Amino acid sequence: MIEIEHLTKRYGETIVVDDVSLRVEEGTIAVVVGTSGAGKSTLLRMINRLVEPSSGRVLIDGRDTLSIPEDELRHRIGYVIQAYGLFPHRTVSQNIATVPRLLGWDRKKIAARVDELLDLFQLDPGEFAGKFPHELSGGQQQRVGVARALAAKPAVLLMDEPFGALDPVIRSKAQDDLLAIQRRLGATIVLVTHDMNEAFHLGDRIAVMDQARLLQYAAPAELLTHPAEPFVEQLTGTAERPFRLLSLTRVKEALEPGDAEGEALVLSTTLHDALARLIALGKDALPVIDASGKAVGRITVERILAHGRLPA
Amino acid sequence: MSARALTFRAAALILLVAFITAPQLFAFVFKPLTVNDAPAIYNHGSLLALTLSHLRTVFLATLASTVLAVGLGIFVTRPSGSEFLPLSRSLVNIGQTFPPVAVLAIAVPLVGFGEKPTFIALFLYGLLPIFENTLAGLSEVPPQALEAAKGMGMNARQRLLQVELPLALPVILAGIRLSVIIGLGTATIGSTVAAKGLGEVIIAGLQSNNVAFVLQGGLVVALLAVLIHDGMGIAERAVAKRLGRPVDEVA
Repeated sequence: MIEIEHLTKRYGETIVVDDVSLRVEEGTIAVVVGTSGAGKSTLLRMINRLVEPSSGRVLIDGRDTLSIPEDELRHRIGYVIQAYGLFPHRTVSQNIATVPRLLGWDRKKIAARVDELLDLFQLDPGEFAGKFPHELSGGQQQRVGVARALAAKPAVLLMDEPFGALDPVIRSKAQDDLLAIQRRLGATIVLVTHDMNEAFHLGDRIAVMDQARLLQYAAPAELLTHPAEPFVEQLTGTAERPFRLLSLTRVKEALEPGDAEGEALVLSTTLHDALARLIALGKDALPVIDASGKAVGRITVERILAHGRLPA
Repeated sequence: MSARALTFRAAALILLVAFITAPQLFAFVFKPLTVNDAPAIYNHGSLLALTLSHLRTVFLATLASTVLAVGLGIFVTRPSGSEFLPLSRSLVNIGQTFPPVAVLAIAVPLVGFGEKPTFIALFLYGLLPIFENTLAGLSEVPPQALEAAKGMGMNARQRLLQVELPLALPVILAGIRLSVIIGLGTATIGSTVAAKGLGEVIIAGLQSNNVAFVLQGGLVVALLAVLIHDGMGIAERAVAKRLGRPVDEVA
């Protein structure tokens, strides 16, 4: 768990981060969004003390980060930056082994950990372990960057625009992979992005920053239904909001009893995708089945639209 | 390097070794260049000994330049030393601007005749390429790699030894190579102040108006320079390759 308390960073007269407080629960992803220059990266870099706060403090699992020596603190916090910063003179496995080596793990344990991570990130150890970063594609470099950050099993992972350098197709795959890995490892992640779609896709909670201030820190749905300030509404896309809301809701929540004709939808489908199917098929209702294939009810256009309605 | 180029270098090396170990075998080549029955092959000392002493002076001077220039280059690229960057640049530049002959002239009254003044001249002359290349190499280290290194908890020393220096190494080596080559040529003037070296052969030739001597001294120095230049180039590429850089990236 990360607790940020009244964190402020000033450079002379300029305030880059202005009295930000927020709490990231164990095993969740907090996404910090905002325009460039809003102070997102500075906020992130204050967590691992790459930037020293002017005032305020950060607690990780209840411990003030100022009480831990800088380098030791950073050994325990995974850090991924946009261009990954892989060491060009080291192979993939040497890159991944960086922090374990700094921590003085024995050779066998490091080798086992590297193989484990390569497997986790779907990089065949036989093929990739000995490659140099310049021999990898962008998506592979990104995976190595994240694997390296996770190598010493850090309690917390900080990611600064980790998907920014990827093309859209690879990006959404990389986001799904990150989600899967995060669920599996139960890692606590703080991720900075300026991409709203990414924020809604990944965030358990989203922090919206503008001009050094934290405007709102809330669950994605709440950000849409109760934006704290006009800027939040604008950033989430005024016209897009109902659709985003439908993307966040699953068929399960809009299920009604009854039956319908046609190809069944699964409970875990988002309302956004369900509506798309209904529109495409020209139907008002479709049957719904659970994961085992048993019919559990139906979904209607009317119910879906009701879920996309925003409070006045 | 192509097979042809390699064969050519190997031939040059064999020729060089043969000439400095048994110069009399080549007397017939130089005989036509002499007049009045002057000796065709330098006869005041062994060419082998002169070559070794020449190489020794250059090696020691370059080693000293390397230690100081790389050390200085590292120092002024640290936050604590950045103030000294302009000053060290000027000092190193003066070392390069000052003609070695002038350094010899000043050094002889201070340290006497022999190898010492030559060593000082070569040392000063060799600083600039190594210093500038150290700065260039260190400044070319990708900032993201440094940011990541810091973010993963490497301390300043670990960043220098594990990230910065390995990445800068090929460029630093290129600077050292340049200094060695400059030094090989410059060391010949050391013989004017009685340093043992190949300059002795050239000067003897000039004094006795013997073209054969001048040519011998000049050829040995030239062959040494070409071969050492190539040899170090191969070493640089090997290092760059081990550091995971495509070979053609290093000039």
